[in-house]
Amino acid sequence: MAVTTLPETASAAQDQVPQKPPNKYRLALPQYAAISPFFILFAVFGAFPVLFSIWISFHSWDGIGSMKWVGLEQYSYLLGDPQFWQSIGNTLIIWVLSTVPMLLLALVIANALHNATRFRSFYRIAYFIPNVTSVVAVTMVFGSIFSNNFGLLNAFLQSIGLTKIEWLTQPWGIKIAIATIVTWRWVGYNAIIFLAGLQAISNDVYEAAKVDGASSRQTFWRITVPLLRPVILFTAVTSTIGGLQIFTESQVLVGDTGGPGGSGLTIVSYLYQSAFLDNQFGYGAAIGWALFILIVLFSIINWRLIGGGDERISRRAARRNGKETADAR
Amino acid sequence: MRVERTRNVISHVVLMFGVVVSIFPFYWMVVMASNTTPDIFSYPPRLVIGSHLFENMGKVLDNIDFFGSMLITIIVSLAVTVLVLFFDSLAAFAFAKYEFPGRNWLFGLLLATFMIPAQLSLVPQFVTLAEFGWIGSLKALIIPGAANAFGIFWMRQYARGAIPDELISAAKVDGAGFFRQYLTVGLPVLRPGLAFLGIFTFINVWNDYLWPLIVMTDPNKLPLQVALQQLNGIYGTDYSVVMAGALMSVIPLIGVFIIGGRHFIADIAAGAMKF
Amino acid sequence: MALSRRKFLALGAGAGAAAATGLSGCGSVSSLGASNELSMWTWVGSVNDDLIGHAEKAIPGHENMHLAMTRIGTNYKTKVMTALAGKSLVPDIVAINDDVATYFPNQDQFHDLNELGAKDHEADFLPWKWKLGITPENKMMAYPMDTGPTALFYRTDVFQKAGIDIDPAAVAELAPTWDAYIELGKKLKAAVPGSAITDNITGIYSYALAQQSKRYMTQDGQYIGDQDHIRTAFDLAIRVVKEGLSANAQSGTTDANAVVTNGKLVAYNAAVWWAQLGPKNAAPKTKGLWRVTTAPGGAGNRGGSFLAITKYCKNPEAAFAFISWLEAANNQAQAFLDPVLFPSTPASYTDSKMTAPDPFFGGQKIVDVFAASAKGYPGAYFSPYDSIINTPIAAELVNVEVAGKSPDQAWADAQRQVHRELTRVGAI
Repeated sequence: MAVTTLPETASAAQDQVPQKPPNKYRLALPQYAAISPFFILFAVFGAFPVLFSIWISFHSWDGIGSMKWVGLEQYSYLLGDPQFWQSIGNTLIIWVLSTVPMLLLALVIANALHNATRFRSFYRIAYFIPNVTSVVAVTMVFGSIFSNNFGLLNAFLQSIGLTKIEWLTQPWGIKIAIATIVTWRWVGYNAIIFLAGLQAISNDVYEAAKVDGASSRQTFWRITVPLLRPVILFTAVTSTIGGLQIFTESQVLVGDTGGPGGSGLTIVSYLYQSAFLDNQFGYGAAIGWALFILIVLFSIINWRLIGGGDERISRRAARRNGKETADAR
Repeated sequence: MRVERTRNVISHVVLMFGVVVSIFPFYWMVVMASNTTPDIFSYPPRLVIGSHLFENMGKVLDNIDFFGSMLITIIVSLAVTVLVLFFDSLAAFAFAKYEFPGRNWLFGLLLATFMIPAQLSLVPQFVTLAEFGWIGSLKALIIPGAANAFGIFWMRQYARGAIPDELISAAKVDGAGFFRQYLTVGLPVLRPGLAFLGIFTFINVWNDYLWPLIVMTDPNKLPLQVALQQLNGIYGTDYSVVMAGALMSVIPLIGVFIIGGRHFIADIAAGAMKF
Repeated sequence: MALSRRKFLALGAGAGAAAATGLSGCGSVSSLGASNELSMWTWVGSVNDDLIGHAEKAIPGHENMHLAMTRIGTNYKTKVMTALAGKSLVPDIVAINDDVATYFPNQDQFHDLNELGAKDHEADFLPWKWKLGITPENKMMAYPMDTGPTALFYRTDVFQKAGIDIDPAAVAELAPTWDAYIELGKKLKAAVPGSAITDNITGIYSYALAQQSKRYMTQDGQYIGDQDHIRTAFDLAIRVVKEGLSANAQSGTTDANAVVTNGKLVAYNAAVWWAQLGPKNAAPKTKGLWRVTTAPGGAGNRGGSFLAITKYCKNPEAAFAFISWLEAANNQAQAFLDPVLFPSTPASYTDSKMTAPDPFFGGQKIVDVFAASAKGYPGAYFSPYDSIINTPIAAELVNVEVAGKSPDQAWADAQRQVHRELTRVGAI
């Protein structure tokens, strides 16, 4: 419920001179002033840069001299640039490698947290700490764990009789290492969100399911997961958007160019490399737009896959009901 | 009952295992920071805490201006947090509790700004700030982030639920204008929400890497995360020194989090649920 | 209501004023460093530390100012370009590597050294080196620092095993051309199996190119990188590999040093700075076994750096005084000792610091060989796009060596990629 700022027009006496109603915009000036800092900052540092970046992407520019108009040349170069496509492939592979285990583990942990009765606060803090630590520091630690020659992981593999894996120089090794860092950072965060979702499901639903004789697996997949759909959608969308924007883990782990063969090069790494290492501002701007299109695309895909399921459920339920009534007849 | 008990035990086992996985990298960081690099490189590697922590920390201080960088990060994080808390709560207060022309349209516009990924603005924002003369100065880190859509959105949700209309009406009757209402009614009630947003903002600014990497072009004036990566670049495989640096950079935030973390976590979850 | 509105207007005005001062950027300095400091950026190992230390106390001739040096560890050029693009905290003096021409499109960011009196020093320097710092618009953008004359390095012990006279003059006569050199290489390989005359394919290509008087573009912007002089160097490099005379140790890998240490690389046509990077660093045990002589194919130059003064410089006269002092012949001779920078001032070549016999080279006075190369180098035009053009060509050469790609296919692919790159930057 909002409080109006228009002055209450007291019952005016009939014989008073009719006044002009106060200008509603002028009266709302304090509110406009209150929201203006954000919009001013957004205009200067949000909207304008976006429009400017379109302009830059039509030029070849090193950021210093004059801009040279090249039309769509940056974009056509982009489409034929193997490094760019490699960066997309890398980013997507890392995203799958990290998001799928991360969501599954988060569900498992959330479930466990839901069932656990004690130490809840301790667990939540412990699971959340990875998320608040600096990505640079975390990546450095994992870099040492995954190190080819001196890493803990290889030492462990050796101790059980397996051969060392060249994590940081093999294409898949690099991707797995980066995906591990991302997963480690976000499992706790997403588990806690799932937990909140789980806690929001009232016990009545579970009681009803038990009465109907549902097994725990049936309960989990047919009831819990569908009810968690909004939360899952939220985490999936945020993980997707975050996953497409990975930079720090890659750059700190394997360097500016994504390591041997560019296996760890992500889209944002390539943007950074093109714009600020190769001083190709126009190309960097073009890559930024390609990234934006990708993000929009994947958000839509996520929405369709996960979010649009409600009609499917009700349709399936209606069909089943129809079948039951038909059987009953 | 027994089924419940077993499920409980299994849950705890799973959770403890997860805790170990979550905490182990920190333990490992301490181990590496407190040993010498040859110890770490030996096979089998040393797995216990050593005695060289101060020695390694000393090497870190010799090689990067650690405290200088930390000071820069502290200043930037605090400045942004204060600005964000002020601007965001003010805007959220207005959006949540007041009707004014174009309110819904403007709020919709604010939501639309979520769509824009930060990377789109990297290049043009650099150019804009270069024109202002801000590159290499803390202004480049503070001003662009001084108000954000997420904070306003979140605070508005919070304000709607937490601030009773009666309080505002009462303040109006007392003759308070908008800003007085904000100060006397809004702020006090919003305090827990401010605490959350403050910690959230502080942590994110503290950990920010890509943007500071781009705009802080003076190698002698680097924020903490960038300085840390520089250390990594110089020292590379001298893990004991690099990890000492990482440890030193991580401790302040973890400390803050352990102290104020409980509410923070609850609020994150609550915020997600509102979606 | 009225009261609060007035108050809010006052607040708004105050905030606006604050924002305006902030936005105008007043208070921010465009030049890096305090007003009595000349800030300088260079990469590690590019200048003599003693001389710099001297300047850090006081600039000769401008004692009220002193140097504030920052040695950049990684991504040097990127940081310079980003600082220039950032227009703030820009160093007064920057070192520039042999890619100096890539800065020419931005020559307006630097002072024209002729306006600061550079012409007075021109006679002291190698003519081709002096020219390299002058833009096509006749502005002197960069002042010569060191050079990279090339010569043939060889292991006398391996030559002896192959029954070849190890005297430098004799070796020079034996291999005056690349063809003769390849024959020599085959002889060495027969005597000591596994011997190589280059670390990798690009080693041959780059050093053959380093002897040419033409490179990738003409002064008026015509692309000539698909012409015979480039194709010859391209094919030469491939031929060396096909004859089995390359150690296949690609640059940037740990192998590159290893082949020097383990003695696989027995002869190498390389620049003077390779002495430090290669044998002295990676194979100190071979001290006394190396010699140098005239390179097959003749005099050449690869590498070498420059100094430039940015337009943000607080005191261009003092900066120029520093630069000209640092690069005076006697100081350049000192820089040869540490960190082995070969002077661009011929007068240095007779300085006692340089003419001392080098024990690593068995007491040979290596300055003679390199000085002859430095003086004999014809000089070539470097275009701003040379780095962009060189990269795909080098990459395709590596494909031929490492992946066995067909030479003609590699050449075609390289040229196609060059074309795409040049189109993207609007050069063609």
